[in-house]
Amino acid sequence: MKSINPVLPAPERSAESTGIYTAPAGERRRRSRKAEIVKAPPSTGFRLPKPVRRLQRNAPIYAMQGLAELSTRLRQLTGREVIDLSRVMDFVQFAYKQRELARRGANYAVDDFGFDPEWTESFLSVFNVLYRDYWRVETTGIENVPATGRALLVSNHGGVLPWDGTMIKTAVFAEHPSPRHVRALVASLFMGMPVLSWFLRRTGQTLGHPDDTRRLLERDELVLVFPEGVKGTGKPFKDRYRLRRFGRGGFVATAIRAGAPIIPISVVGSEEIYPMIADLAPLAKMFGLPYFPITPLWPWLGPLGMIPLPSKWRIQFHAPIHVEVHPPEAADDQNLVMALADQVRDTIQLGIYDNLKLRRGIFV
Amino acid sequence: MSIHAPRRVLITGVSNPLAAEVARRIAPQVPYLFGCDVADPVSAIEEMDFVHADTRHAVIGKLVRQLRIDTVVHMAVTVDSAKEDRADHETNVIGTMNMLVGCSGPTSPVRRLVVKSSQAVYGAGPGDPSFFSEDMAGPERQGSFVTRDLLEMEQLVNEFAIRNPDCQVTLLRLGFRVTSDTTLARYLSLALVPTFAGFDPRLQLLHEDDAVEAIVRSAMGAQAGAFNVAAGGVVLLSQAIAIMGGRAAPILPPYGQWLARLGLRAMTGIDLPGHVAGVLAYGSVVDCSKLADVFGWTPVYSTRGVMDALARGKNEELVEAPSPPQEYELQVYLQRRRRAERDGHRASAR
Repeated sequence: MKSINPVLPAPERSAESTGIYTAPAGERRRRSRKAEIVKAPPSTGFRLPKPVRRLQRNAPIYAMQGLAELSTRLRQLTGREVIDLSRVMDFVQFAYKQRELARRGANYAVDDFGFDPEWTESFLSVFNVLYRDYWRVETTGIENVPATGRALLVSNHGGVLPWDGTMIKTAVFAEHPSPRHVRALVASLFMGMPVLSWFLRRTGQTLGHPDDTRRLLERDELVLVFPEGVKGTGKPFKDRYRLRRFGRGGFVATAIRAGAPIIPISVVGSEEIYPMIADLAPLAKMFGLPYFPITPLWPWLGPLGMIPLPSKWRIQFHAPIHVEVHPPEAADDQNLVMALADQVRDTIQLGIYDNLKLRRGIFV
Repeated sequence: MSIHAPRRVLITGVSNPLAAEVARRIAPQVPYLFGCDVADPVSAIEEMDFVHADTRHAVIGKLVRQLRIDTVVHMAVTVDSAKEDRADHETNVIGTMNMLVGCSGPTSPVRRLVVKSSQAVYGAGPGDPSFFSEDMAGPERQGSFVTRDLLEMEQLVNEFAIRNPDCQVTLLRLGFRVTSDTTLARYLSLALVPTFAGFDPRLQLLHEDDAVEAIVRSAMGAQAGAFNVAAGGVVLLSQAIAIMGGRAAPILPPYGQWLARLGLRAMTGIDLPGHVAGVLAYGSVVDCSKLADVFGWTPVYSTRGVMDALARGKNEELVEAPSPPQEYELQVYLQRRRRAERDGHRASAR
């Protein structure tokens, strides 16, 4: 190739080079392609002096160093871990990841449902802190979740806000040998809410519509459904861990049609995060909400009342119920569908009782 | 169900740029091409006979029978309209009804009918499924007046299809297009784009070239039924704004869309149609698998590609430049002369 190069003076290239040769040296350097790439865009406006800028750049490193120093000192002083650096790192990582994601600009792709995996994973470090340290979730039976292929996860629903969905998603992503994203189905009510609709869609959730469920399952995704819906989250504290009606068994019909196994999940601990002692129905009606909860902290403490209580959680993934052995036509057999829905419901209810027994106390 | 090659084609609403491009593409493939519209076309098409005819009057029926039209491509349908205007209802519903009446009956020569509709027929709301398939449009979907009008129009077309089994009817629900003259494109091209606070919906678009291709294929082919036509994939609204080099300003109130539309008009002068406002809050994405199955073709541009093309300014107008009236007159005169010459030659050869 090298021997050919000098023999091939392309006409437009030579014209360009003559143009450059006529230009003065400084001009040539400025115009040459290499210089253009290396050169930073000219700064506009006010710039801080150089030492201040250097300090600004290094501030996070100094802060981390100081924190590490403090952590060691405190450990020596008290003999135990007061500031856990790995937890702090989780948050630092989150902040850096967010900055990195902001730099993508428009150069990212979402799937047809509006799911942005990279963005979702950036939140997992924060949810992981909740998972490990705040609610100290103990997950069992994670091996029942398939590493590939479709499955319909069915769980009980509790607590006023759907933190249980978040924790199931975190459990599968953090604990499974081959991490997978769980796509939860959400009530249409939340899809109409500002901020929430946007956040839910971008983190992979979609509407609880049979058509959406079918499409997700056909793409071999893990789909999480709460058949109790808002009846589950909005039940009073005295009714905790008592399953509500499982819809009309529509989730079973969808699973049979899509040929997906059903994996029941029992979640314990979610009911105590916001103990709902009363429901102001007229106020809920006014705001267009399914319920307006009164808890010992909400609404008395304002936004602080929205902080969930640190109950002890257990999540159990049960053995799959293989509804895919039935032909797709069986989905129209209401007898079979209701029987299977009851089987799923009983599995979850028994799992809840088992896990409640295994839990030593509500907060320990 | 005879698969016939179209011979005498009538295109209604031919003066809008999309229909003009369709005419240009169909012209070399058929022996006789007629176009009608109320407005003058921006530039004359050599092989097309242009007729000043309003679809809102019964003349269209006479035209069809007199010219023995066998294929009608109905494109006199207004979608991108913000005001609840009597004229749009007249064009979309009454115009289509007149056209269908003209094409129906046992003596009708029409064997193929292609009707342009829009994705707007599905409306957009928080409780809607993530993808609309063709069977999801129905009277239970309340929406803006454009949605209602399109639904009524489609209903008329469906009734026509049932009453005239000899005629193959294709209904194309085209996705949202972003040429320089659509509201959506002007909205996305703003430097500071006001968006609904707390919403970042998925957008699905359709490139003008793909829209033309779909209409030409259905006019020349033999596929009956309703089809969604839209580009593959989605972009988020914030992403689309970033691609266009603008910045999103989440300042429109999420509740009470009419208020947001009023505010947007006051701020930017853009009159956002009601159904587009719905799309910008909740998103509207269609499933094009039926198109892929039956036509064996899918739009070439992805939604991302459409956005990139718009950003590059490559999504140029289909018709070269709107020519002044004299230019049009001149073209028509020259065309007439050429035809006269050609026919003269033919007559002398005979």
